[in-house]
Amino acid sequence: MSLYEKLGGEPAIDAAVDIFYRKVLSNDRISQFFESTDMEAQHAKQKAFMTMAFGGPNNYTGKDMREAHKGMKLNDDHFNAVAEELVATLNELKVPQELIDEVVAIVSGAKGDVLNK
Amino acid sequence: MTDIAFEDKHLTLEEGETVLDTLLRAGYDIPNGCRAGICQSCIMKSDASEEIAHAQVGLSDAQKTLKYFLSCRCLPSSKINVQRISLSSQQTNAEVIDVSMLNETVIRLRLKASIDYHAGQYLTLWKDGRIARCYSLASHPTLNDYLELHVKYIKGGEFSAWLRSDVRVGDIMKIQGPFGKCIYAGEKEQPLLLLAIGTGLSPIFGILQDAIAKKHQGKIHIVVGARSKENFYLVEELQKIAAQNKSISLTYIYQEETNTDTITAQNNTDFASKGDIYQYCKERFDNLKGYRVFICGAESFCKKMRKQCFLEGADMNAISVDSFISFTEEKTEG
Ligand code: HEM
Repeated sequence: MSLYEKLGGEPAIDAAVDIFYRKVLSNDRISQFFESTDMEAQHAKQKAFMTMAFGGPNNYTGKDMREAHKGMKLNDDHFNAVAEELVATLNELKVPQELIDEVVAIVSGAKGDVLNK
Repeated sequence: MTDIAFEDKHLTLEEGETVLDTLLRAGYDIPNGCRAGICQSCIMKSDASEEIAHAQVGLSDAQKTLKYFLSCRCLPSSKINVQRISLSSQQTNAEVIDVSMLNETVIRLRLKASIDYHAGQYLTLWKDGRIARCYSLASHPTLNDYLELHVKYIKGGEFSAWLRSDVRVGDIMKIQGPFGKCIYAGEKEQPLLLLAIGTGLSPIFGILQDAIAKKHQGKIHIVVGARSKENFYLVEELQKIAAQNKSISLTYIYQEETNTDTITAQNNTDFASKGDIYQYCKERFDNLKGYRVFICGAESFCKKMRKQCFLEGADMNAISVDSFISFTEEKTEG
């Protein structure tokens, strides 16, 4: 069973994305990046983010990740804040620690591309 | 370079340009309105299915089958051929049966036309086949035998000033639509929160009528906001509906006093209270989990309210928004 399946697949993401987005919007370190006029579109992108973090099916390449985040001037603190909110979301949903560790490993792997380093 | 083939000519799209931008820059007379994918006045046709898919949001299945797309939304990534379609195929004739002022700034327009719609949807109205504007429906498809729209009057406004001074009962107006999905979908048990500012009351009124007609079981909370007390309209009608339904609560909140408050049409000084609508909602509805929320009015209001309601616990897909966008020459605000 893949990590994505263990986490519960798409229904699990649907359950998690509202919680996660709410946390991100309430976090002063990063909320400014996520307050776009079109909350629905932003919501869809949060879902794409979670799908990736959960090791789910997506067509994003490292290049796409660089492209999506370029120009935002993201730093380590921004990155950590997003990662922390993701972990807090998973804790809230009572996801077992070993699965959370796997999610963190995936997210950390994308760090270089996201920060355009 | 991305190429557009149009009427025997080849045009080149510049970086970031939409198909509409390119055609207008080349001097073609292409009808257009909101340039935001809302009014559908710039609708065109193309065989390049892959290049237009992203510009078909909001179109009907029939329109998609006909390979129509919205040229103001279309950013093709490779060669595309585009054709005009006859706009009249998208329009319906509507007879004006009433134009009157509901207060100093709100025009009530009633039309007779045979279209199928859901309460809360919007129409595009045309002036002289050139100027397009979107307004939301306040009427109900089965309870009313007319279409009703509330138009904010703006002095010098290209459309609203014309509507107020030149349009007469009996005139024929071209309309397009209905569009939009800010509608009551029959979630009977859920509590509803209906938030309107200014002429956002138009679709909210339609949605309310629909919820009642469909025998909504849960509570219905209506909060209507305006800049000052004299901006409220349809107050008696709403109060009457609320009085007949124990499950409906109705609140009016205005931002500031004006010295003309003493001459409000309603002669009723108690129906509204002064305050901040965001603060009021935050305190009164501090947990919106399980609620179905409708937010209608100016873009800034919708944006802020949507975020607030989401943070107060409403699911993202349980929040429907009808946000008035500003057209190029006329701000539809409040
Ligand atoms: C490993 C960490 C991250 C991953 C895997 C990730 C993934 C994604 C994905 C898949 C998208 C959607 C791209 C698209 O379809 O357009 C996206 C968009 C976005 N990401 Fe991230 N992201 C990460 C970290 C961050 C951080 C740290 C921030 C800022 C604090 C951020 C801010 C954004 C924003 C604002 C968008 C939307 C861009 C737009 O509206 O076009 N992301 N991200």
